[in-house]
Amino acid sequence: MSRKATIWLWRAASFAVAASFIALWQLIANLKLVSPVFLPGPDRAWASLMRGFSNGDLWSKLAGTLEHMVYGWLVASIAGIAIGAIIGSSKLMRTYVAPSLEFLRPLPVSAIIPVAIAMLGLTQAMALFVIAFGAIWPIMLATIHGFAAVEPRLYEVARSLQMSRLAVIFKIALPSASPDILAGMRLSVTVALILSVVCEILAGLDGLGHWVLLSARAFRSADLFAGVILLGITGYVTSVAMSMAEHRLLAWQAAQR
Amino acid sequence: MAITAKRREADASGHSDPQIAFAGVTLELGGKTIIENLSLGVQPGEFLCIVGASGCGKTTALRLAAGLYQPTSGRVNFDGQPMLQPRREIAIVFQDYGKALLPWRTAAGNVSLALEAGGMPAADRPARIEELLRTVGLPGHAGKYPAEMSGGMQQRLQIARCLAQEPKTLLMDEPFGALDAMTRQGLQDEVLALVAASGATVIFVTHDLDEAIYLGDRVIGLLPHPGRIGIELQVNLPRPRDQLSTREQPEFLRLRRQLFDFIKATEQ
Repeated sequence: MSRKATIWLWRAASFAVAASFIALWQLIANLKLVSPVFLPGPDRAWASLMRGFSNGDLWSKLAGTLEHMVYGWLVASIAGIAIGAIIGSSKLMRTYVAPSLEFLRPLPVSAIIPVAIAMLGLTQAMALFVIAFGAIWPIMLATIHGFAAVEPRLYEVARSLQMSRLAVIFKIALPSASPDILAGMRLSVTVALILSVVCEILAGLDGLGHWVLLSARAFRSADLFAGVILLGITGYVTSVAMSMAEHRLLAWQAAQR
Repeated sequence: MAITAKRREADASGHSDPQIAFAGVTLELGGKTIIENLSLGVQPGEFLCIVGASGCGKTTALRLAAGLYQPTSGRVNFDGQPMLQPRREIAIVFQDYGKALLPWRTAAGNVSLALEAGGMPAADRPARIEELLRTVGLPGHAGKYPAEMSGGMQQRLQIARCLAQEPKTLLMDEPFGALDAMTRQGLQDEVLALVAASGATVIFVTHDLDEAIYLGDRVIGLLPHPGRIGIELQVNLPRPRDQLSTREQPEFLRLRRQLFDFIKATEQ
């Protein structure tokens, strides 16, 4: 069998599995094994999703969540790469700062939220801080690792070419660390989505998290599930987009394998 | 041939200023003396080969000449100026080409790195890159990544990048050590032709004694622990050299015997 045919067969199989899950869900809903108040069938969830899109409610919620996620992630990326680059390119910094990082890193971000609320209130700024704080770790640690792992020989090449410090960072260190950094950014985008929802739920900020919470409180289970499905799709789409960006940016790595 | 003439002139007058001069250079690293009281002058346009048993400090000597190490005592001068840091006029061809090339840049991009560092305007680079890749026998490979090239091609690429620096001095650290015999012989002749064309001074470190005699105007053998000069041979074989006839000459064989005896003695 050709490679292409095999790939299509696998895709068909995974599609079949997804389809049978939905069928099972519909079956459970139809048989009322769980009360319809708590579990809508996929038909009702889908109808609610379509209704939400057609009257624009879900669009604005989705936009709110995406805004929280993207801004938080961008702040985390810029700060994480900058701080990671400084720490990673200096052995002294690694020795002195790394232990502090090891203390901060495993701290659950949820523990930071009350602190952030106390200091910033139930505001967008609070959400931005919490999301960025949570999403910065994978990026920063990956950047530190990437910068520390640059081939020393390349620094010697840079020295013999009398390259400027800035040129060394942008032409040698950053590209060399880019596979690590992009992997960290891919992990972070998921963290940013999770924290966006958490912040929306806790602080009542406009977004899918808030929508899901209100729907649950009002026993509008179809709306609740529509929100959850949309969040799932958002996570999936961002992760696929990140993979595609990685694939494009790291085309040179394919040559090494 | 102008270089040979210049070199002969220098030899005749006997006191031309060396391009690279080691004056009583001692280097200690981690409490160990790697090189002790090394004095050595390399004339402009000279092809100097350094041989020696492993651990004799020949690579270290090259790194001192490159300005990558600073001597603990003594001085390394380049054109009469103390070498305090690496400089663009001195290019280094590393043995581990796989580590010295940027894997995320194509062949053209790797050559471009040296042109960028030299401040060449972007518009002028493509033509120069093409020319350099042709010079080292890599025309038509501009778009390939190093990982898509064979070892010999990668080393050619590194040499092209070094030539892009337009170096006065080329420092080569066992550049063909990792290549097979046929590729190695081809590259030896190409390097000789390139050097003859550019007039660059070369310090060539190798553990291959035949290679040293075949390439060099002069061969220096280092003694280990600590590194110091043990033997110095003038190679008066005619140029251009030829893989078969040069290696059959009585003078070649005499030098070869002398060098082998020396290395054997150091290993006891």
